[in-house]
Amino acid sequence: MFWQQLINGITLGATYALIALGYTMVYGIIQLINFAHGEIYMIGAFVGVMAVIVFKVNIFIALLMAIAVCILIGVSVERIAYKPLRRSTRLAPLISAIGVSIFLQTLMTLIAGPQAVGFPQVIDDQLYHIGSVTVSKVQLIILFLASVMMVGLQLIIKYVRIGKAMRAASEDYDTASLMGIDVNRVISFTFAIGSALAAAGGVMVGMYFNSIHPLMGVMAGLKAFCAAVLGGIGSIPGAMLGGLFLGVAEVAGVALGYGGYRDAIAFTLLILVLLFKPTGLLGRPIQRKV
Amino acid sequence: MNKKLISLITILVFSLLVLAGCGSSGSQDEQKAANDTIKIGFLGAKTGGHASYGLETLKGMKMAVEDINAAGGLLEKELVIAEGDHGSKNSEASIVTDKLISSDKVVAIVGDPTTGLTKIAAPIAQQNQVVLLSAGAVGTGVVEIGDYIFRDTLLDALAAPAVTKYCAETLGWKKVALVTSINNDYSVGLSNIFRDALKKYKVEIVTEQQVKDGDTDFSAQVTNLSGKQFDGIVFTGYYTEGGLFMKEVRKQGMKQVLVGGDGLLSPVLWEMGEGAVEGSMVYTGFAPDPNTDNAKTKTFIDKYKSNNDNKLPDMFSAQGYDAVMLLADAMKNAQSSDPKVFRDSLAQTKDWKGVTGTITIRENREPIKSPVYLLKVAPASNGNSWEWKIQAAIPVTAE
Repeated sequence: MFWQQLINGITLGATYALIALGYTMVYGIIQLINFAHGEIYMIGAFVGVMAVIVFKVNIFIALLMAIAVCILIGVSVERIAYKPLRRSTRLAPLISAIGVSIFLQTLMTLIAGPQAVGFPQVIDDQLYHIGSVTVSKVQLIILFLASVMMVGLQLIIKYVRIGKAMRAASEDYDTASLMGIDVNRVISFTFAIGSALAAAGGVMVGMYFNSIHPLMGVMAGLKAFCAAVLGGIGSIPGAMLGGLFLGVAEVAGVALGYGGYRDAIAFTLLILVLLFKPTGLLGRPIQRKV
Repeated sequence: MNKKLISLITILVFSLLVLAGCGSSGSQDEQKAANDTIKIGFLGAKTGGHASYGLETLKGMKMAVEDINAAGGLLEKELVIAEGDHGSKNSEASIVTDKLISSDKVVAIVGDPTTGLTKIAAPIAQQNQVVLLSAGAVGTGVVEIGDYIFRDTLLDALAAPAVTKYCAETLGWKKVALVTSINNDYSVGLSNIFRDALKKYKVEIVTEQQVKDGDTDFSAQVTNLSGKQFDGIVFTGYYTEGGLFMKEVRKQGMKQVLVGGDGLLSPVLWEMGEGAVEGSMVYTGFAPDPNTDNAKTKTFIDKYKSNNDNKLPDMFSAQGYDAVMLLADAMKNAQSSDPKVFRDSLAQTKDWKGVTGTITIRENREPIKSPVYLLKVAPASNGNSWEWKIQAAIPVTAE
């Protein structure tokens, strides 16, 4: 039972981690909490469903289509709603982000209707028994894809030129631009990667829980934001750890019979961690820049 | 400068005059309309999570209004519906109720189809002495709010024990798992009723699990069920979560079926649950029984089908229809559309025959409605969807 619940928790946590990465990367570079990020995840899920139902494509092609659409939307949102405000007060882009979030929710409600939409069964109900633990094919696919994406992200950031530029921009935005780094391109790239991960998370959650909804991004976005802060906002391994930690904690709470408090668990954990470790689990200590 | 000021003032005065003119002519129109019509309010969701209840209720109400107006109207006036949509939001329900009463000036409100929102709207109706007849609220603590509050539904307090008896005695269930959606008034109340009924008919609850409306991840709760032995799952929440819960149950390899109240009664149950909900049972105060001997029911079903591409009516449209008819009959008997007057004749309803069965309003304003239908999800005749099949019609008696 314990191991079974752990798998449930890790699967849920992996999807939180995918969304949390988008929050943390954007924050790392432009110190903006992109509240529209949860909506990108929601749109990813809807594009995935549409691809499967309307175009009748394979789920992996649907996943790629969702990623492509979300990259486009994520980058345009940055261009339209955040870039013009980059030199204004820190509050302005935050309010702009909330506006984009409400706009995208309402737009999707208009297009898809207010009701929950069932995600068609795209992967058969194959179960694998490992000892006393039963793992479904969907869970395996989610864990596999999420790991591949997270490892891939780490490699890009460590070894690829644009990844190095991202790190430089997150270290010191102004100096990086003085050193000849095209920070606008870096920021666009950051939004693209974050949106791609969120889209993948949306499609996976859709096929795992079989239901998507125009407002699904609100709670998922808040939880992922919690995960990002929990792990230390700005830290990429922190977002992964925070997501997994949150997923497992939530499932543990439900497994112990407190199903009604599952959302409260995430936020209580956040408060506790911040009380004892204000920069999050893997966050860098706050340094005042001179 | 001075000229400009004067012309500005002239324009202002003229525009005020024009506006004032508009206002007075408008209110005359309203006055005239109010004298020729009787307004009934619809309170429910046309959008949001509970939209499928609200839209169906409204369909039934509109059919009843059509029938009444075609037969010469009510008390020689035209009956009209004022629609109030709260979008499934608790926060909007009281605002919409206020609007129906104060600006639409309705004499009665039909709604809300859910217990939770009825409890929010009822105190407002009571305070303003407007009759509120819920065509869907089945939980406890509704008519207790005041003497203007009624409902025409099958009560869980009567139906759940009847269904439990059927499960225990006819289906031979000995052990069940009970699942409650704890942020849902209706579900918490229904679970309490089931707990008592299960005890009375000696069915053991092997485990209780909590879920929440809006949840999509039920893996942890279902894993908690997986080690246990039981004959069925009693699920007291709504259709979206019910369908997704059963999907997870099948995913984790369990074969039991689900039984629950009319909160599960929507095709969304199988849109969400697909094959996983096959065999699931839901009780309801109304089923489009093709073999019914009630002529009113037959006419209603035929008319609904011809209006809705051959689709069969559900409980909400039938209860919405009965709600309007019940109110109209009460007004006819009282020869008045004043809520203070026809309230009394509504309270004395006895053995009233509607499309959903026989309704008697007891002294405490709670209805007794018979029979309760137990429906089962079965593959549809065209093979690629599902439909409700009548499993049993169980007579209901007051305890």
